[in-house]
Amino acid sequence: MLNASDRLSVSKAFVAKVVVFAACAAALLTFPSWAANPYILSAGVVVLSYAVLSTSWNFVGGFTGYISLGHAAFFGLGAYGTALLITKLDLSSFVAWFLAGVGVALFAIPVGWAALRVRGASFVIVSIALVLIMLLVFQSWSDFTGGSNGLVVPRPFPDMLRPEHHETFFYLFAALLAVTLLCWWLIDRSRFGMGLKAIREDEDKAEALGIPTYSYKLVVYVVSAFFTALGGGMYALWFGDLDPVFQFSILIGSYMVLMALLGGVRQLYGPLLGALIVGTALEYFKLEFGDTQFHLVATGLLLGIVVLFMPDGIIPAGMKLVDRFTPERSSIREMTAAELLERDQSESSERAGRHASTPSDPEPSTTEKAKR
Amino acid sequence: MDGSLLFQSLVLGILLGGLYALLAAGLTLYFGIMRVVMIAHSAFLILAAYLAWWFHRETGIDPLLSLFVTVPLFFAVGVLMQRLLVARLRPVTLTMMSVLLTFAIALTIEGLLGFVFSGTQRRIQLGYSGESIEVFGAHVAVVKLITFGLAAASLAALYVIMKYTKFGQSLRATIQHKEAAQLVGIKTDRVAGYGFGLGLATAAIGGTALSLDATIYPSLHWHWIGPLMAIIVVGGLGSIPGAAIAAMVLGIGQSLLQIPMGTTWAQTIFYVALFATLMLRPQGFFGGRLAQRF
Repeated sequence: MLNASDRLSVSKAFVAKVVVFAACAAALLTFPSWAANPYILSAGVVVLSYAVLSTSWNFVGGFTGYISLGHAAFFGLGAYGTALLITKLDLSSFVAWFLAGVGVALFAIPVGWAALRVRGASFVIVSIALVLIMLLVFQSWSDFTGGSNGLVVPRPFPDMLRPEHHETFFYLFAALLAVTLLCWWLIDRSRFGMGLKAIREDEDKAEALGIPTYSYKLVVYVVSAFFTALGGGMYALWFGDLDPVFQFSILIGSYMVLMALLGGVRQLYGPLLGALIVGTALEYFKLEFGDTQFHLVATGLLLGIVVLFMPDGIIPAGMKLVDRFTPERSSIREMTAAELLERDQSESSERAGRHASTPSDPEPSTTEKAKR
Repeated sequence: MDGSLLFQSLVLGILLGGLYALLAAGLTLYFGIMRVVMIAHSAFLILAAYLAWWFHRETGIDPLLSLFVTVPLFFAVGVLMQRLLVARLRPVTLTMMSVLLTFAIALTIEGLLGFVFSGTQRRIQLGYSGESIEVFGAHVAVVKLITFGLAAASLAALYVIMKYTKFGQSLRATIQHKEAAQLVGIKTDRVAGYGFGLGLATAAIGGTALSLDATIYPSLHWHWIGPLMAIIVVGGLGSIPGAAIAAMVLGIGQSLLQIPMGTTWAQTIFYVALFATLMLRPQGFFGGRLAQRF
């Protein structure tokens, strides 16, 4: 009886999930056809690129809890790598894009090797320093990178009109986002992901349990850098004009963090949701207030509010709110080991039938399952 | 490269190192008290510089006198910030989240400065701006000497406060072992708040000193935070003498490297030192057991 209703509710939740997913995916994919004008469409491309970046950031931030404010370095390197490979080596656009991603991933190995030796604050400092170094190098080395004059990236589809170009890149970004999300989901469900999350919860204990914490962190750092660089390269191909001040900007790194935190770093769709909210707001602020520094104030205040009041993000906060209106559930975690032991003993003696002291627990506990 | 040029750079490096040392001492103070990495430190530095510039423009009085307003003001802001914002963060994730929180404060300050004073570059013109005196053949601008003097005096004052006053003792006790400090009757929350205010007061002094000598603009703080962060990591997080020594060494190094490499590339010394420190001694060269963990 219990099991049947249980399975029913699970399948209901599953159906709901599929429906919501399909609706969101359909809304996303048909966006170019109902976007009012090319400007809105280009804003959509920007928001999607933010979603790719902050999901990529979430490989490190979400799984290991290491907050990197310097992912803009990988973004900029991906963008500049793509542009330089096209212009200097005459590679075709998307080959250059992929090679730039691989190159940045290789570059991330020594960087991660140094940065991941320290935890917490020192790691954040190193990540900020990385962006500042890159900014310095790409501004000063102007005969190679174009410096502050900017670098023009040849268009991959030269004969396309602007709206068409936006539409194509909208789908390209959507595809990249899908791959990134898929990869995050796969890691989330794997043993590797379990180890990473153990690092997030308590690194010393994780290490004591035999998880090779250092190499796990390094691998996920490199994966994260790879996807961030792909996002950057795609941005370069779409936007077509690079400037060190914008590519290696601490702001971009902080947007990634803000979006992921706002949505919820432990959720697959958290960064995507955050990117939708923050990205749309940023585009709106830029449109309304133009050149003023208002978007900085807005970003700062929003980040402060998120950090102070909902460090777990919107999705967990929303779920808590929903839970408040549903019948109370108690999970196995809310019982102490002593209570569990007592319950198991009384259940085995009474055959679970008349034991009514925990009616609110519909799921058979894992210990019970193990016994059967 | 002739000797007098070298000597000139050395003197300038020492003068610059003094300012770095004062600011890094403030950063170290926050870290010691609360395990907080205060990204907004340099934003407050620039804010103080702007206030000095504005004070000078409005009243025409020497901008140094703005210290009498900004130092108490920043102290109060620091106390309030610790009590109202930082103390609210969850202890488990305090270090990470405080970085983000202070980063958010830095962004807000930068945005507001741009909003109120616009992004135009500002500079204070004073009667003695162009004057310099000769020390053993090296020309040293008077404003740089004033900056160094202020920094040295404040560092000395900080040392005296930390070492010889009752408040300094309880502050050091709080840094060393919070629970033990509570046990001997120190109100650690209050002391931590005052310590935070003290740290921010160093930013007020540094900013006023900076405004005498530098062209200021809202996003300038990013150029300061990188070197300062590198200094406190190299010195070992939480160690004030370590921070001061690292600040001196790197300040002089930067100044000397400017001769062959130019100003932009000379800045990389901070980051090279940062990465070298992480490779060789992740806990910093003077820091104690605290550093690597946070």
